[in-house]
Amino acid sequence: MTALPTTVAHRVSGRQVQVDEPLCLDGAGRETAVAVQFLRECQSHGLRTHWEMACERTQGGDAYASRMLHHLPPPAEQSGEPGELGAWRTSYAAYPAGMLYHRRGPDFITVMDRRERPSSARFTLDHPDLLAAFATVQEATPLSGLSAVQREAVGLLAAERLALVADGWAVALPPRLRRWPVPCTAI
Amino acid sequence: MRVQLVTMPWHPIDLPSLQVGLLHQLLRQVRPDDEVREFHGSLRWAEFLLERSGGRLRPGDYEAIGSDSIFDGLGDWVFSGALYQDENWGVARLTDYATRRGLDIGTASAMRPHATEFIAECATEVLAQDPDIVGFTSTFMQNVPSLALAAELKRRRPGLTVVFGGSNCDGPMGHALHRNHPFVDHVVRGEGEYAFPALLRHLDAGTPPADVPGLCWWDDGVSRANTESRRTVAPTDIPAPDYDQWRTALDASPVLEYVYPKLVVEGARGCWWGEKHHCTFCGLNGSSMAFRAKTGAQLWSEIDHLVRRHQILDIVTVDNIIDMAYFKDFLPLAEESGWDLRMHYEVKSNLNRDQIAQLGRAGAVLIQPGIESLSNRVLDLMDKGVSGARNVRTLREFENHSLTCTWNYLYGFPGELAEDYAPVVDQLPALVHLQPPGGAHRIQLERFSPNFTDPGFGFGKRRPAEMYQHVYELPEAELSDLVYLFDTEDAGIGGEVESQLKRAVAVWRAGHGGSTLVMEEAGQQEGVDVLLVHDRRQGWPLRTHRMTGWQAVALRLLEDGRTEPALHRKLTGDGLEVSAGEVGEWLQDALAAGLLFRDGRTYVSLPTREVPVRLDRDLAADDAADLQAVAG
Repeated sequence: MTALPTTVAHRVSGRQVQVDEPLCLDGAGRETAVAVQFLRECQSHGLRTHWEMACERTQGGDAYASRMLHHLPPPAEQSGEPGELGAWRTSYAAYPAGMLYHRRGPDFITVMDRRERPSSARFTLDHPDLLAAFATVQEATPLSGLSAVQREAVGLLAAERLALVADGWAVALPPRLRRWPVPCTAI
Repeated sequence: MRVQLVTMPWHPIDLPSLQVGLLHQLLRQVRPDDEVREFHGSLRWAEFLLERSGGRLRPGDYEAIGSDSIFDGLGDWVFSGALYQDENWGVARLTDYATRRGLDIGTASAMRPHATEFIAECATEVLAQDPDIVGFTSTFMQNVPSLALAAELKRRRPGLTVVFGGSNCDGPMGHALHRNHPFVDHVVRGEGEYAFPALLRHLDAGTPPADVPGLCWWDDGVSRANTESRRTVAPTDIPAPDYDQWRTALDASPVLEYVYPKLVVEGARGCWWGEKHHCTFCGLNGSSMAFRAKTGAQLWSEIDHLVRRHQILDIVTVDNIIDMAYFKDFLPLAEESGWDLRMHYEVKSNLNRDQIAQLGRAGAVLIQPGIESLSNRVLDLMDKGVSGARNVRTLREFENHSLTCTWNYLYGFPGELAEDYAPVVDQLPALVHLQPPGGAHRIQLERFSPNFTDPGFGFGKRRPAEMYQHVYELPEAELSDLVYLFDTEDAGIGGEVESQLKRAVAVWRAGHGGSTLVMEEAGQQEGVDVLLVHDRRQGWPLRTHRMTGWQAVALRLLEDGRTEPALHRKLTGDGLEVSAGEVGEWLQDALAAGLLFRDGRTYVSLPTREVPVRLDRDLAADDAADLQAVAG
C-alpha cells in the first residue's frame, strides 16, 4: 500500500489520487510546504494525481511560475487561472517522470534535475550535513526548528533549487524514484 | 614488469571495461610487484573526435557507430585505413556495400580521417608509460582499432610484447588473428584468469609458453596454437574488478558531461540452459558453455564495494543468464539494501510472477528476457524451452511491475512455416499495450551456435559476412577462421509473410505509447463480484468490459495461461456451474475482443493490473543533445 502524507486530505483508488481540498502553493509557508510535500510523494510513487489550485498568485517570483515545481503533478484546469499553469500542464504531459528526482545509495544521494531544459544538472550529496538536512526537509519543516548548521545546509539546497524555502518553511523538492518509468533508460 | 592494459573503441563510453578491471585486480593479487596501468582508448577516441571535429562528432555519434553498426562493421572500417596504412583502403568497397544496402555511412566517413592521427597519439601515450607488455582486450568491433594500435606500437618499439585476448580471440578466431598479424606476439584464447599470469611467468623466465593452454605464440616464425583447455575458471578465482583508473580517466574527461556512467559486474559465466538445450541461433557463449556463478553473497559484496566507492547506482550485469539461485541469495540482498539501484539483467523468460516482482523490488528494472518469438512451434525449433503463451504472460507481468523489457522478434529458423506466423501476426494488434520488440529481424549465422557448428540444421552454405570485405585485407579462407558472423542462405519464412511480420511489429511499436488494457477489481456490486477491463488500446474500440461470475474468475485464471479443458476443469472444480460449451464460446468471444492471446491450445489473458509511467521521449538522450547544443 502506498503511504502518502496524511497532512493533505485525499483518496487513493488504484494508482490514482484525488485530493479532497484545494491546495495553495502560494500561501503561508506551512501550507505551501505541506502541499508540495504531498505532491512530491504522489510523484515519487508514480500516482496520477488530481488536485485543484486554491488561490490566485499573489506574490512575484512564485515557485510554479519559475518551473521550480514543474516536475510535480500540475493542478486541474480552472477558468481564469494564471497562464503559467497551462505551461506546467503541457510540460508535465510531455515529461511525466524524470524531470527532477533523487535516488538513495549508501551514504549518498544522487539528484537529476532537468527542470531548466535544455540544461540538465546532476548532483551527488554525500556531505553528512547536507544528507541530514535533506532527510529533515523530506517533511515540511519550519526553519525556526533547525540548528544553524541545518539552516545553512538547507540554504545550500535551496540555492540549487533542491529545496523550497517559503515564508520560514522548507521542504525538499526532488521526489525519491520509487517507481521507474518505462523505459527506465529514458531518464 | 610493467603491464599496460588497453581497451580500444568501440567499447561503450559509459561503461568501464570489465576485462581490464578484472585483469588489473587479478595481477595485483597474483603479481603484486608488477606495475599495471590502463589505457582507455575508447574514452580517448570519443574525446579526440569531439576536439578534432570542433564539437561536430559527439559521444552520441560514437555510441551510434559502436552499438548500431556491428552488423555492417563500420566501427572496424573507420580504423582499417590506419591498420593498413592506406587512407583509401576499403573506401570503395564500403561505398559499394552501402549503396547496395541503403546504408548511411556519413558519420563513419567523417570519423575515419581522424583515425591515423588518433592511433599515433595513442601509441605515444602508451609508450610514455614505458610498458614491457601491452595487453589488448577485443570484443565485437575492437579488433581493427586494437590491431592498428598494436601495429604502430611494434613499429615504434619492436621489443615490446603485444598480447591479445577477449571474445574475438576465442577458438579458431584467436589463431587466425595471431597468424595473420605478426606484430601480435601472443593471443590468449578463452578465459584469461589462468592463462595470462601463466604467460607472464614465461615472459619473466624467457621460456617458450608451450604449456599455456589455448595460447597462440610465435615459434621461430611459426604461429603455434596450444590446445585449448577444457578447464574453466572457478568463480572463486574471478576477482572483483578494479575500476579506479577508469573512474579517474572519466572524471577528467569532457565526455563525462555526455554520458551516465554505469558499473559492470559479472555474477556468472556460461549458460545453464545452453548446457542442456543450446538455443540454435546463439553463439554468445563461445567455446565455453559451462555455467558457473559466484555466490549471491560474493556478487553482492562486489556491488556493495563498487557502489560505495564510485557512488554509482546503475549496474550492468554481463551474465548471459541469471543464476536462479540469485532469487534466493542475491536479489534479497539488493532489495534489503534499500538503495535505488537500476540493474540490467538477462533472464530466461519463463519466470513466475513472484520472481518478476522480486526483480523489480531488487532494482533489476531493465530486463532482457530472450523472448525472441511468440509462436510455440518456432520456439521449439530454436530449442528455447518456453512457449509463446508464457512469453506473452512475461510481457504482461513486466508491465505490472514497471520493468523495462528489451527484446527482438527473430525469424528465419529452418523448418518454420508461414502457418506458424499467421496466427501470431493476426493477434499482435491485441498486444499493443505490452512492450513491443525493438524490431523483427532475420537471425544471423553466428560462430559457435548450433546453426553454425552443425550444417545439418540447414545453413550448410555459408561464407564470412560480406561486411568483412571492407574490414580486413585477408583471403576468404583466413576470414572463415577469423570472423564471428556469416552470410548464409535464408531459411524459414520470407516474402509476404516476412513483410507482414515486419509491418505488424512496426504498427505495434507505433501504437504502444498511448495504449492500455487494464483489469480493475471493482468488488461487490449488488452482491455480485465485478471485474472491469478498461480497453484504451490503439486500434480497438474504447470500451469497458464488465465481467461477473465464472467469466470474471476465468479471466483471472487465465493470467497464468490454461487450455480450454483445463480452464473448464478448474472452474467446475471450484464449484462454478458452467458447461464446456459455454467456456468454449466465452473463450472465442474474449479472443475476438482481444482480451486473450492464444498459442496453440493455450489461452493467456492480456489485461494488466497496473500501467507503468510511460515516457515517449528519451530524456537521457535529449540531455546529451541539449548539452551538445549548448556546447556547439
